[in-house]
Amino acid sequence: MDAFYIILTATLFAISCGLLGCFLILRKMAMVGDAISHAVLPGIVIAFLLTGTRDSFEMILGAALIGIFSTFLIEFFHHKARLQTDAAIGVTFTWLFALGVILISVFAGQVDLDQECVLYGEIAYVPIDLWIGDNGTIFGPRALYVAAMTLIVNVAFIRIGFKQLHLTTFDPAFAATIGVSVSLWNYLLMGAVSMTTVAAFDSVGAILVVALLVGPAAIAYLLTDRFQTMMIITVFVAIVSSALGYYLAVWVDGSIAGAIVTIIGILFGITFLFSPGHGVLMKKRLQRKEAQRLKTEAPLS
Amino acid sequence: MKVEAQEPVVEFHDLTVSYHKKPVLWNIDMTLPKGALIGIIGPNGAGKSTLIKSAMGLLPLASGYVRIFDEALDDVRHRVSYVPQRESVDWDFPTSVLDVVLMGRYAKLGLLTRPRKADKEMALNCLRKVGMEAYVDRQISQLSGGQQQRVFLARALAQEADLYFMDEPFAGVDAATEAAILSIMQEMTAQGKTVIVVHHDLQSAAEFFDWIVLLNMRLVASGPIDKVFTNEMLQETYGGKLTVLAEVGELVRKRQIPSREKY
Repeated sequence: MDAFYIILTATLFAISCGLLGCFLILRKMAMVGDAISHAVLPGIVIAFLLTGTRDSFEMILGAALIGIFSTFLIEFFHHKARLQTDAAIGVTFTWLFALGVILISVFAGQVDLDQECVLYGEIAYVPIDLWIGDNGTIFGPRALYVAAMTLIVNVAFIRIGFKQLHLTTFDPAFAATIGVSVSLWNYLLMGAVSMTTVAAFDSVGAILVVALLVGPAAIAYLLTDRFQTMMIITVFVAIVSSALGYYLAVWVDGSIAGAIVTIIGILFGITFLFSPGHGVLMKKRLQRKEAQRLKTEAPLS
Repeated sequence: MKVEAQEPVVEFHDLTVSYHKKPVLWNIDMTLPKGALIGIIGPNGAGKSTLIKSAMGLLPLASGYVRIFDEALDDVRHRVSYVPQRESVDWDFPTSVLDVVLMGRYAKLGLLTRPRKADKEMALNCLRKVGMEAYVDRQISQLSGGQQQRVFLARALAQEADLYFMDEPFAGVDAATEAAILSIMQEMTAQGKTVIVVHHDLQSAAEFFDWIVLLNMRLVASGPIDKVFTNEMLQETYGGKLTVLAEVGELVRKRQIPSREKY
């Protein structure tokens, strides 16, 4: 049962991250996801100091606001100071992350967070941290509910805003001319990324969550030419890598989140080589076939 | 040289636009007529694209205003269509030709409504008009430059607007596409729609447009082609850069104006 809880929690988080990641990589903003996942750290620590719990609603909200704030800072440095986007990202998220690290070390006694947990997370504890009702009923692992809620919110957000998100991703100038606010949808998307990152924080940590945001979406991008199909493949990759990752971790007796991301990396490598449309080997094969065809047809012409 | 339009659809009033505090358009003041095929002509960096972007509210205005159908843009957005430069989007985006054309219907749909059957029919119709009906399900990265431009035009048609701003629709397209786009534009203007096109080729400009706007950071001329498209006006627009355009050079030579280099 523990294995099931862990895999299910990981899968739900991976799906949430993957769906948002589809938009992020097409917006060429994968690294903004990276930035947000680090930048929310001070928000998490402050919210933790204020509320005393690690997965309260206030905490997710507070961190989401910091995530949006960091997006704003990045845009601000980029447009107002005319700093390159990647430089703006680098300055913003390291600074906010450093702030978080200091907060943790200063309040080490009061905060049930340490650097290791922040960076790597620990999904193995999911089955232990149970949600127990007022009358003593055990509802199951708390993280599972958080993961499920996160997924529901994300799916609802993408379903409601699909047209706008799709349009502002593909052709922002056109979107603006028909009255769709490009910056509003950008901030909403980044808000969703922040919220998801914070929710997944306990389980996978600040570094590995980036792999969940980018990895499955990147694999799906290589496999299809349709956006909707890309999202479906992403979900599939999220499920497969969570399950395989868990058993890999059990097998080597190591970190589960690390194993999941390792599996994503391996899947990406396989896709990169063998994808029918974009794969390196398939392209080579097509080129060979084409050369062969030209050779055999040449004498006729 | 400025001719005011009889029945203006767009009015630029003392428009100044700056990029990072450096003005790129100065005091543009003109009116453009209804039902005309209008070419905005000028050298590179003259602010042609900037002019239509500012009309579409994509750039902040340093001063002045633009009125469309004698109203603010926000009140008439649904009647105006903008076709960005082809290079402005990522054509490797995983989407199909039909999906791109359907985007032209988004403005007419609410937040939650998905494109309906009628919208799809409409999109298909627009694709038929631009001769792309065979490519409906094609992934957009497989299109040639001319086909990409046709898809953008189909998306604009799907908007059913009355005024169209197009940024370099003829740039880098094949001859067949050029002819197809031109004939669609002429059909549109015949229906009383106004088409405003950023264009950089003087040779074809003389054949394409009814009304010409000559621009080089400031407004040089605006008026019917026979009044505006003159040697003198072109000289003024393109400045002393005689090498820029063979045609201008040719005119100069014919009239035996001494070139500056010889002087």
